[in-house]
Amino acid sequence: MNGNRPIDALFSRRALIAAAAGGTLFGGLIARLFQLQIMEHERFSVAAADNGVRLDLAPPKRGRILDRFGRPLAAHRQAGRVSIVREQAEDLPRLMNVLSDHIEMSPERQARLINEARRQASFQPVIVASELSYEDFARLSVLAPQMPGLQVEMASTRSYPRGRDFAHVMGYVAKASERDLERLSDGSTAQERSAIRRLFKHPDMRTGRSGVERFAEEWLRGEAGFRKLETNAAGRIIKEFDDPALAPKQGKDLYLTVDSDLQRFAIDRFESESGAAVVMDIESGDILAFVSTPAFDPNDFVNGISSKDYALLRDDTEYSPLYHKAYDGTYPPGSTYKMVVASAALDAGIINPEERVFCPGHYRFGNNTWHCWKRGGHGSVNMHWAIKGSCDVYFYEIAKRMGVEHLAEYSKKFGFGQRWELGIMGGRSGVVPNDAWKRAARGEPWYEGETLNVGIGQGQVSTSPLQLAVMTARIAAEGKIITPRIIGEGPRPDADIPLDEPLDADLMRRMKAGMYGVTSEAGGTALRSGDLGLGGPRLAGKTGTAQVRRISRAERASGILKGDNIDRRLRDHALFVAYAPHDDPKYAISVIVEHGEGGSRTAAPIARDIVAEAMLLDARRTPVYTRTANVGGSSSGNGGL
Amino acid sequence: MSIARASRLDFNRKTLLGQVGALPWGLILLFVAMAMIGVATLHSATFTNPGEADLPMKQAVRFGIALVVLLIAGLVPIKWYLTLAWPIYFGTLALLVGVELFGTVGGGAQRWLQIGPIGVQPSEFMKVAATLALAAYYHKRWNDYSGGFLLHVPALAIIIIPAALVFRQPDFGTTLALFASGGMLIFLAGLWWRVIMAIGVAAVASIPAIYFFVLQDYQRERVDTYLAQLTGQSVNVMDDGYQIEQAKIAIGSGGWTGKGYMEGTQSQLDYIPEQHTDFILTVLAEEFGFLVTSGVLVLWMVILGLSLAIAMRASSLFARFAAAGAVATVAFYILFNVAMVLGLLPVVGVPLPLLSYGGTVMLTTAACFGLVCSAHLGRNEPLTSS
Repeated sequence: MNGNRPIDALFSRRALIAAAAGGTLFGGLIARLFQLQIMEHERFSVAAADNGVRLDLAPPKRGRILDRFGRPLAAHRQAGRVSIVREQAEDLPRLMNVLSDHIEMSPERQARLINEARRQASFQPVIVASELSYEDFARLSVLAPQMPGLQVEMASTRSYPRGRDFAHVMGYVAKASERDLERLSDGSTAQERSAIRRLFKHPDMRTGRSGVERFAEEWLRGEAGFRKLETNAAGRIIKEFDDPALAPKQGKDLYLTVDSDLQRFAIDRFESESGAAVVMDIESGDILAFVSTPAFDPNDFVNGISSKDYALLRDDTEYSPLYHKAYDGTYPPGSTYKMVVASAALDAGIINPEERVFCPGHYRFGNNTWHCWKRGGHGSVNMHWAIKGSCDVYFYEIAKRMGVEHLAEYSKKFGFGQRWELGIMGGRSGVVPNDAWKRAARGEPWYEGETLNVGIGQGQVSTSPLQLAVMTARIAAEGKIITPRIIGEGPRPDADIPLDEPLDADLMRRMKAGMYGVTSEAGGTALRSGDLGLGGPRLAGKTGTAQVRRISRAERASGILKGDNIDRRLRDHALFVAYAPHDDPKYAISVIVEHGEGGSRTAAPIARDIVAEAMLLDARRTPVYTRTANVGGSSSGNGGL
Repeated sequence: MSIARASRLDFNRKTLLGQVGALPWGLILLFVAMAMIGVATLHSATFTNPGEADLPMKQAVRFGIALVVLLIAGLVPIKWYLTLAWPIYFGTLALLVGVELFGTVGGGAQRWLQIGPIGVQPSEFMKVAATLALAAYYHKRWNDYSGGFLLHVPALAIIIIPAALVFRQPDFGTTLALFASGGMLIFLAGLWWRVIMAIGVAAVASIPAIYFFVLQDYQRERVDTYLAQLTGQSVNVMDDGYQIEQAKIAIGSGGWTGKGYMEGTQSQLDYIPEQHTDFILTVLAEEFGFLVTSGVLVLWMVILGLSLAIAMRASSLFARFAAAGAVATVAFYILFNVAMVLGLLPVVGVPLPLLSYGGTVMLTTAACFGLVCSAHLGRNEPLTSS
């Protein structure tokens, strides 16, 4: 059978032709190989030998981060650096020995550096010290010409001139770890991947690890270039060509909406307390101050923080300096939530604002008793009096009447229970509890008694200081939609807020009247903090206390423990939200003092002073980035490599 | 069903051990030798970079798996491939459509399909699947047309449909591979010379249209760079031109015998991007020189030649076409990769089988040679009963 069909002979004939063609192609490739490797060998070996022009990867300078008035928050600093190059060193251990006379180095570190130099390609420098003092730099520079293999140079590093002021907002940069490299090259082609890897392995290259430094990585990064160098046979640089076409391109500057002087003032005002404050421009939604204190110094992270120092930051669970309390921290809002509860009740139509509820100091529901903060009771109060006197019994009553579902739904219109995307990484949504939430989170149904707790902002409900500031701004703006933002010019995050609709202006005016009452009318809980000290404009606000623990019946009977009688960690958090001026609101603020106990005693004075300072500084005035070019005008997109 | 059962009986009659002994061991040993050269070269290419130190070991493990795949694929009776050719082809086609609809984007292109925990790249299967389908088609239909022109029209469709899907991903290298190996089979099936000429003329004439309307910007850039360096113009050193230029320097500085194992300054310097994947040949050329590099190419010619001889000796048309298609697929990879590294073709991401780092091409190569081995074992089976 084989060979009988015409196809068999045809196939064999054609296969031989194909084989001949394939053989010819292979032959051609071998000829080309011969041409390159043998005939042009001389030319290429000269190019490859170091006696020629070499292109060294030059990392780009990172874009700066500036505040709304153009003051640098993240910039560059020149720092002296010393490294060793194995290829040029005559005697590596001796060189290290000499170096150790000038730079403090343990023998283990010396051994490790020598080891590293030997493992790497011989011409690659190994950095010995990167933050030389001016004296060390000068001394080593003098020494270098006599010590082959010693390389002393200036290099640019990231610096944060405002230190810890913006630690959480800005985050920090660090050398890219393997995990960072994975993340940075996610979604790239194999070719881009290797380019990214090479760039980030460069000793001068850093990447954003957290905060806006991480979010805006591509905006800030810039584009890598090359240094065109002429080197001799030993690899020593003879001269550097200036080739603008090859120069790296600096990353784009990024503007935040914050006022760094206001931020500084606010942090100082907290003194040694731990807490958070958010100041917002009611008109634009610009965040003018975003305080979380105490903080860490991002400068410590740029060249790698020691594990000992890091442990100190991490293990301080009482003041938690690494934690962004204003954005990641969620606390029960306490009585600052009462405007939400009151307006939700009016919206539900379950109470007339003039209807009076009698407060004897406690409230009975089922077999339990709920207490008002005022032991003797408020007597008979309408809504206005209930807000300014912060009467808990009134709010137990209206919360019970409307039920938790309506309250939850209405709360979301203020921005609670959802995360605001600011473009600085992090951020938490908090909890707006209802039956469905509790079943999902705890596997239990909602009990009506819990509704009473939520009615005074305690129990399961939790909010971030940012959310409270947005709530206050929306009330002050009589229901207008206000979206907070902190990136003035830079990569804008997509704000995808599911529930975002204006609130009823009449209801909000009523809430404003209540808040004005708190600071400015007889019976208000924060009368002492109403006067801004600016001879006219007043503050309108609301105090709050976030319970940290349950108070037992026995303790209530014998007197609630406070102040020095109780461990700091068990003291309640103090809250205050406010806007000013009361008759033409421009600024909204929320303040939380952790374990500060009373909103009116600790949080309100801080809020008042910060707002007064903001008005003195005129922190809202037009930012520089809108003056120079229209936002979005800097079009060229994301800086790649 | 009945075919499968009959085959199983068949299989048992000739003992498994006997089958193993009858495998083309000379070919398999050369295959192993090539992979060893690959791992050694990879070791040299990656050892300065601590992050890549484990790549040679990973590659060795992959090769072990690939060898098992080759042996199993080789021991599968050729009849089974004939039976399964169409289900495999249409199954893979369905996966390609799946990529189009639900595929994940990796490396800037939509190539991966996530099925549970496993990511599969159907375009890679398609190289083998299209070969099987073409072989099955010609096996069944050649005599109906006795080599007439119409015979080849459905064959063309078998290639063009998956090629179009792959091109959309976009994966230019695989598209070319499908056309090259499919075209080779159509050629072997006796497409008239005058048609071949006409296609050649049309292809040359359509180059400008392809350049301006089909290629994407980045692909066009590569072609520009390629033309520039061919004609000796200075090229933008920042992009592909840089890569090609550095590759040429590495290769050219190798000379007759190279700079010695792990001594290549270009290779060790990290000058060449992708040097452990698509540009692995530069490491070989720089460190071992012309003699070894051309030796590797000759070794490939021997491997491919032996495989083609197996194809020609088989009695069934299916075995002939299947083995020849497998040879064409691997040959395309090698020719294209080497031409690209030597600056003769634009940079298109085509790896060098058994030498480049990467698991996908390793498996495709193993499957191709498994098919050749199966054709060898089944060379006397006429496969006419079906």
